[in-house]
Amino acid sequence: MSKFLLWLIMLPSALWKSLGADNQQLRAILYAKLLMDNRKPLAFGGNKGVQRKKKKPGKNTSVRMMLLSLIMGFIYVLPVIITEQDVVLGLTLFYTLFMVFLTFTLITDFSNILIDTKDKYILFARPVSDKTVMLSRLLYIAIYLFRLVVPMSIPAWIIFGILRGWLAAIWFVLPLVLVLFMVLFFVCGMYLFIIRISKPGKFKDVLNYFQIGFSIVFFATWMLSSRMMNPDMIKGLDLTAFDWARWLPPYWIAASYTWIEPGVKAFPYTKLLSILAVVVPLFSLYATVKWLAPTFVRKLSDGDAEPASDNNEKVVEGKKQKNNKILYSVLNVFNKDEGSKAGFIITWLQTARSRTFKMKVFPSFAFVPVYFFYILMTGNKSLTDVWANLSDGYSYISLLYMTFFVMLNALNYVTMSEQYKAAWVYYSAPIEKPGAILAGAFKAMWVKYFLPFMIAIAIFVVFIWGPYTILDVVLATVNITLFTVAMMTMSYRLLPFSKKEQIKESGGKSVFRMFGVFFIIGLLGGIHYIITKISTFGTVLAKIGLEDFVPASWFAGISFSTKLVFLILSSIFLKLVFTSLKNTDWNNLKNDDSDY
Amino acid sequence: MSTVISIKGLSKTYGDKKALNNVNLEVPAGQIIGYIGPNGAGKSTTVKILAGIIQEFEGEVIVDGVNVVNNVLEVKKKIGYIPELTELYDLLTPREYLSFVGKLYHLTDEEIEDRTSRMISSFGLADNLDQRMDGFSKGMRQKVLIISGLIHNPSIVILDEPLSGLDANAVIMVKELLQFLKSQGCTIFYCSHMMDVVEKVSDRIVLIDKGTIIADGTIEELREDENDTLEQIFSKRTLGDNYGTQAGSFAAAFTNRENTNNNDE
Repeated sequence: MSKFLLWLIMLPSALWKSLGADNQQLRAILYAKLLMDNRKPLAFGGNKGVQRKKKKPGKNTSVRMMLLSLIMGFIYVLPVIITEQDVVLGLTLFYTLFMVFLTFTLITDFSNILIDTKDKYILFARPVSDKTVMLSRLLYIAIYLFRLVVPMSIPAWIIFGILRGWLAAIWFVLPLVLVLFMVLFFVCGMYLFIIRISKPGKFKDVLNYFQIGFSIVFFATWMLSSRMMNPDMIKGLDLTAFDWARWLPPYWIAASYTWIEPGVKAFPYTKLLSILAVVVPLFSLYATVKWLAPTFVRKLSDGDAEPASDNNEKVVEGKKQKNNKILYSVLNVFNKDEGSKAGFIITWLQTARSRTFKMKVFPSFAFVPVYFFYILMTGNKSLTDVWANLSDGYSYISLLYMTFFVMLNALNYVTMSEQYKAAWVYYSAPIEKPGAILAGAFKAMWVKYFLPFMIAIAIFVVFIWGPYTILDVVLATVNITLFTVAMMTMSYRLLPFSKKEQIKESGGKSVFRMFGVFFIIGLLGGIHYIITKISTFGTVLAKIGLEDFVPASWFAGISFSTKLVFLILSSIFLKLVFTSLKNTDWNNLKNDDSDY
Repeated sequence: MSTVISIKGLSKTYGDKKALNNVNLEVPAGQIIGYIGPNGAGKSTTVKILAGIIQEFEGEVIVDGVNVVNNVLEVKKKIGYIPELTELYDLLTPREYLSFVGKLYHLTDEEIEDRTSRMISSFGLADNLDQRMDGFSKGMRQKVLIISGLIHNPSIVILDEPLSGLDANAVIMVKELLQFLKSQGCTIFYCSHMMDVVEKVSDRIVLIDKGTIIADGTIEELREDENDTLEQIFSKRTLGDNYGTQAGSFAAAFTNRENTNNNDE
């Protein structure tokens, strides 16, 4: 497969040569990278995939990834089917989805390839030109994306061919390559812009925050727009009513279809615009390799060597002192023994500086409110409708329980680190029970990430639903804490930052585990919801004329006191489970000391 | 002897920090230069500029008659660079990795195969030639790194801490290798903190501190006292008036700590 892709990508070698690349070097670099790809499990856009410990990398991972892409491809069929009568609209939506997906994948997952630090030592010291280095990176990414894009577009391709004929089917494939070129140009330009605005040595941090922001915006737009747009709405959409739409690249690409089937509904001068669909991507490729690439590689090779300037150090120093002040003021409040304090300190400090942790955990803060509104926007309800009727009912309980997602993510990623071997320090220290470290790490995550977020959500809940929800907030907080401590005790009994960063487990085991996790937290939230609902039974009885037998106020009292009992029971369990975590000895730890 | 490396007025700043300040150095062909200095003195920056990795600097750097700024690829062809960090594509085997590096220098398959097998055998890695390097020890990786820097028969070799992680036998081997390369007319620019090795292998020692060259000459020329070792020369030159007091105060800090512990008990 790799050799075939390499052969395919080297077919236009004359073009690569004319762009300034050395073809022999280009082939050697791409071959080495593809060889390495075959030796690590692939994730979706997964340059982060690493060899799983003590397991042979699956030989068919590429095939599995392509199958997954194929399944995802069925989502992209929808615009093509729904807008059968307006083919340009359907294609515009299809290519918009594709471009957004590719841009997102490139920005969030491919920065490691574009700014591969290993290349700095291996390639930059060899007689390889900037253009060859950059073209090798772009083509490597293109191969990667190609493996995603081709299976993903197959369902839409087949449907389009059936609906429009064989000529349309042949045409359908060509724009995918053009889309790739445009996206690469956009992403490289964006990275250059970030290098320009970043202070020396801070590029990767700025990029990291940009990636976090981008993934939040992408997720929110994706989820909410999928709720807001329904098939009927898309069917009735008239693209020509929006004049600005003609200036969108996906429209140019869709418009090029008018050469195949003249007379379909489109803007005037569409054929002229469709020329842009060819000219702009080719120009993008030329500009990327000729202008952006050399600047990008040079800035990167120079910038990577740069230490932070004195001014930056002062800024970091000032920030550090402020952060440390908060840390040391809460440290003694939440921790009694020294082991727990050590776990608390390392987790508090490392989570603020680990790029992977920030990248994986910070977006979950935004996911919670987005998911909440996504769930509420069922049955064609708009965001305005949802907001107007928000205080009716007990949806706040689901919002409160959704915050567990933040702790779940933090629990998962606090165990991982690029410098996982630094965990030798735990093994060399005279620690009797590593449980104290685990307890400290849990508390640090709880205090630093969960508690402030829960307080923010609680303020929102109390403001919208009223002060009677305070007991619910406390009960949900205790239940989530109980559940996450139990999870850490059972599944994440690992020392902080002691595990090699790796892709999440895929396949049946992890799906089953995730199903279990959501079932249990759903069960806790469900019980909480039913207890809350008891208070409304009085109204039900009143409706059937039985209010004289059981006064409505009784049910409110029953609900309140049941919640109190629930709270006490949860607190007792929390105490028991947390003690068990704290008593974890070296034998119960899921770490393997031979790693360090 | 003709000059192979010529550095004139070399300066490099990172933000507000001056890493190199008006460095001037001429290296004749076939010489082994021991380039030493404290941490953060500017050694690695000099080396990276010479190797063509950093291309933005002030001053003029000529390598074997080629200006680094004007024709960096030509310079890279002449140089064999062995960096301090053992960064390799470690999912590859040594054979695959060295074949990849050889191709970057446009070597033929036969040349790569021939040089790989000879060099790998001399480093005692013949049995590991087809094993993935992610399971290699630091020393084994370092050996592959050294071979990858020499596979194209460079006329100038730049080594940045090449002995890190190597066992005693391999250290001896590298020392012999340096002498062999010198006998072949190779110019060697050797950065290290292992003073005894630098003292033994270098024809000339250049000492850099705070971005400026503060001493340049043979070991005999640099000695203030007849019996000074390179380590003592290094300390005297870089610590100046603090020489002799730093180690004392360091020890005192630990003695005080010891006393405090004893008092606690």
